[in-house]
Amino acid sequence: MLEGKDVGTSNNNWCVSDYYGELSKALNRVDFFRIFHAIALKHKFDHFMILKLFSDSATPTLSDQLELHDLPPGLAEEYDARFSFGESRLFKTLQDATLPTKWTDNDTSKDLLMQQLGFEFALCLPVHGANGSRFAFIFLGDRDAPELAETQELYYNAGYCFDFYFRNVLANKKGMGLTAREMEILKWISHGKTASEIALIVSVSEHTVNSHTATILKKLDVVNRTQMVAKAIREQIIS
Amino acid sequence: MWEQINILLVDDDPAEELILGSLMSKVKNYRIKMHYCGDIDSATSFLKDNSNIFMVLLDNRLGPGEDFRATAPKLRQAGFIGPIGVISSSLTDPYFQKIEDYGADFRLDKAEFDPTAVEFIIREYRGQTEPSE
Repeated sequence: MLEGKDVGTSNNNWCVSDYYGELSKALNRVDFFRIFHAIALKHKFDHFMILKLFSDSATPTLSDQLELHDLPPGLAEEYDARFSFGESRLFKTLQDATLPTKWTDNDTSKDLLMQQLGFEFALCLPVHGANGSRFAFIFLGDRDAPELAETQELYYNAGYCFDFYFRNVLANKKGMGLTAREMEILKWISHGKTASEIALIVSVSEHTVNSHTATILKKLDVVNRTQMVAKAIREQIIS
Repeated sequence: MWEQINILLVDDDPAEELILGSLMSKVKNYRIKMHYCGDIDSATSFLKDNSNIFMVLLDNRLGPGEDFRATAPKLRQAGFIGPIGVISSSLTDPYFQKIEDYGADFRLDKAEFDPTAVEFIIREYRGQTEPSE
């Protein structure tokens, strides 16, 4: 359990206590999606997106930078087909500053992004993971700009919620031990079974097998399943 | 052309078929065909006869004393390897923290069901491909 739980359970009416119970139980991306989607709706926004602020590409696209979002399907791809997200003022500002910023569709001298995406307003809240990697929580919708108190509430909630998301979903677990289920899946991979075959054997979905496999790759710091099995044998994790 | 997604709803309340069916019809970008079974035995039979089901939405309680800890493994034993989502009007029971142990992939409060959530789940579970060899 986290130290500082009291922060989320104080009587302050803008703290994250409404979400603390959900955050502490969240298991996967679907759970975090539910929580973030609910926060957006509670504050009269239509959508949220968590954006990666780092990129290996010289021309980052919106689709590539999205970490988790509830944008309408296809919107990011349609945007990328017509515009360059890396050139947007919003993305550049997020690269240069850690301040929360507000963007509207009627101030085209500032940025055209809101018009191009079809939203009237966006609130950008930079956040970061424990390893220093930078992200931004962006709430979008057709509403007026929030007052300072609501902006502060959202800024606090975004940072608080993102920390849970980072630790539970994004954190690189390299060096940590494998769980019993991961060991089981590693064993079947070493026996040459495919993901769909392992799913049948272990009684989980193929998606879950692939998810565990990706985690094992991270934990063993290898790039593919062949190297995974070779390293697991070398390290005497499996025989 | 929108892609058709076949979803099986397993719920002992037929009204849920109407409610969720109406909601699914509002999902954009996917044409969802919803199938319905009222109990776990008919669901396992259905899955054996229909290999095109992408996802199962499983009501937590299909009968007295029978929650997803008993029913989700039966779907897996029937050979279904797609995502299973447990739906319930309350997710507060501690055993909801152990969904993966029973072969389920996600849980969703019925009150949180909306077209955006359905679109996200389809995108989430269709997007992941097997890691490279």
